[in-house]
Amino acid sequence: MSAVRWVLGGLGVLGGAYGAWLALTRQDLLQLVEIALWLGAGVAVHDALVAGVVIGASLLGRRVLPLPWHAPATLGLVVWGSVSVMAVPVLGRFGARADNPTLLDRPYLATWLVLTLLTLAAVAVAGLVRSRRADA
Amino acid sequence: MRVPHPDHFTSQLRSPAVAARVGVWLGISFGTCFLTGLVSHWAQLPSPAIGFPTSPAWGYRFSQGLHVVTGCAAVPLLLVKLWAVYPRLFERVDLGAGRRLVAVGLERASIAVLVAASIFQLATGLANASQWYPWREFSFRTTHYALAWVAIGALLVHVAVRLPVIRTALRADVDDTTHDRETAVEPGPVSRRTLLRTTWAAAGIAVLATAGGTVPWLRRVSVLAVRTGEGPGGVPINKTAAAAGVTTTAADPGWALEVVVGGDVRTRLGLADLRALPQHTVDLPIACVEGWSAQGRWTGVRISDVLATAGASGGRDVLVTSLQQSGAFRRTVLPGAFADDDRTLLALDLAGEPLSLDHGHPCRLIAPNRPGVLQTKWLSSLEVSA
Repeated sequence: MSAVRWVLGGLGVLGGAYGAWLALTRQDLLQLVEIALWLGAGVAVHDALVAGVVIGASLLGRRVLPLPWHAPATLGLVVWGSVSVMAVPVLGRFGARADNPTLLDRPYLATWLVLTLLTLAAVAVAGLVRSRRADA
Repeated sequence: MRVPHPDHFTSQLRSPAVAARVGVWLGISFGTCFLTGLVSHWAQLPSPAIGFPTSPAWGYRFSQGLHVVTGCAAVPLLLVKLWAVYPRLFERVDLGAGRRLVAVGLERASIAVLVAASIFQLATGLANASQWYPWREFSFRTTHYALAWVAIGALLVHVAVRLPVIRTALRADVDDTTHDRETAVEPGPVSRRTLLRTTWAAAGIAVLATAGGTVPWLRRVSVLAVRTGEGPGGVPINKTAAAAGVTTTAADPGWALEVVVGGDVRTRLGLADLRALPQHTVDLPIACVEGWSAQGRWTGVRISDVLATAGASGGRDVLVTSLQQSGAFRRTVLPGAFADDDRTLLALDLAGEPLSLDHGHPCRLIAPNRPGVLQTKWLSSLEVSA
């Protein structure tokens, strides 16, 4: 391994060890258990649920959609899916408080529905145009 | 159901050529989040070895806004990155490999740490930005800070291990197949270039959809921002008087600000007393750790004038106490450099109107380049050493 890689790796181990030390010394056992659960749950939710849903959607899409629709559907899924994941906390308005009308004060669900419809419309238009071209 | 194996994944899109390119931008995002996170941590230290600067007044607004917006952009990047490398999750470890087994084991452990810490940081950061605290025990601030070091450390280890592949993948054409798995031969529904462009577009949409929380001219575009930016006096509210439990004490006409010097209460200033002192107006932002910010026009008394009236010498740290009876930020330390700054006010008015109860009536602290949580509301006392 080159010197650059050893330096990067060494710095990484030091930084990571410092972070682990910070977590271990500044939180009690109950808090650490919860952190461990969250770390594990995040990986599980991605690797099983999110990845599983994407694989399922791809398999389904390939079966039910005609070939010219595959590309637009894929791109639609990348944009719509990732923006939707990012928007989960505001869509659920979990942090909303009755005494604070300046917090979470946008129509998130309606916005997301519009985003969903726009994505579907864009995929449909692209799919139809490409189908026609393929037929021509 | 069969156990997945890397060979089952046949798409050419799940390639190091894609992972390396998305990885570069993800690395830049994480690096930006890490550095701006350090800045935020520094700004919140009660007595840092090197004082946090008082200028530019918009410094914290910029760095914390960048922190949260970059974190939002990292969500699409991380999802596509994980998608591209997903087959590697199912790689079998050859248990008879001896010393190599240790190296492989360590690398896989570092990846597990990196993925877990990355998801944790983005998930808890997004939740916190929307004031959602679905965890019960751990402290967000302590944990987000500690795991930032873990994430950036694991990222450096990952880059160190994969550097030869990253280098050749980035130098070669995006459609190069040198580093692809043997079974990754099936063309995807789109080209690699198109997938990458779409990923950049998704990250761009994530930015536009949220940046209006801190960039005023994007407010109308940022449909997924946690706030519209509206509020009394054009400034949103983070914690209401009701949530802080101060509705009675803050509205009490007998309220007076205690100024304590060297343990002695030197003076008590009621609202009328404060209004009788020279009034100054400043334009300063409230810049929240949650990433939103808003500029306000504040009018009130210079804190340095009040301290001088009480006979305190300048340059001292000021212990600022709120009427709040609980909460981590009930008492905060205003470093001497901020207390001496002419822009640091005990604000009585916002946008020409007396402060609303939720904005800190009767009197709140407003200082340049300071995290919103430290712009203490509903002041009850100021204390300095003699």
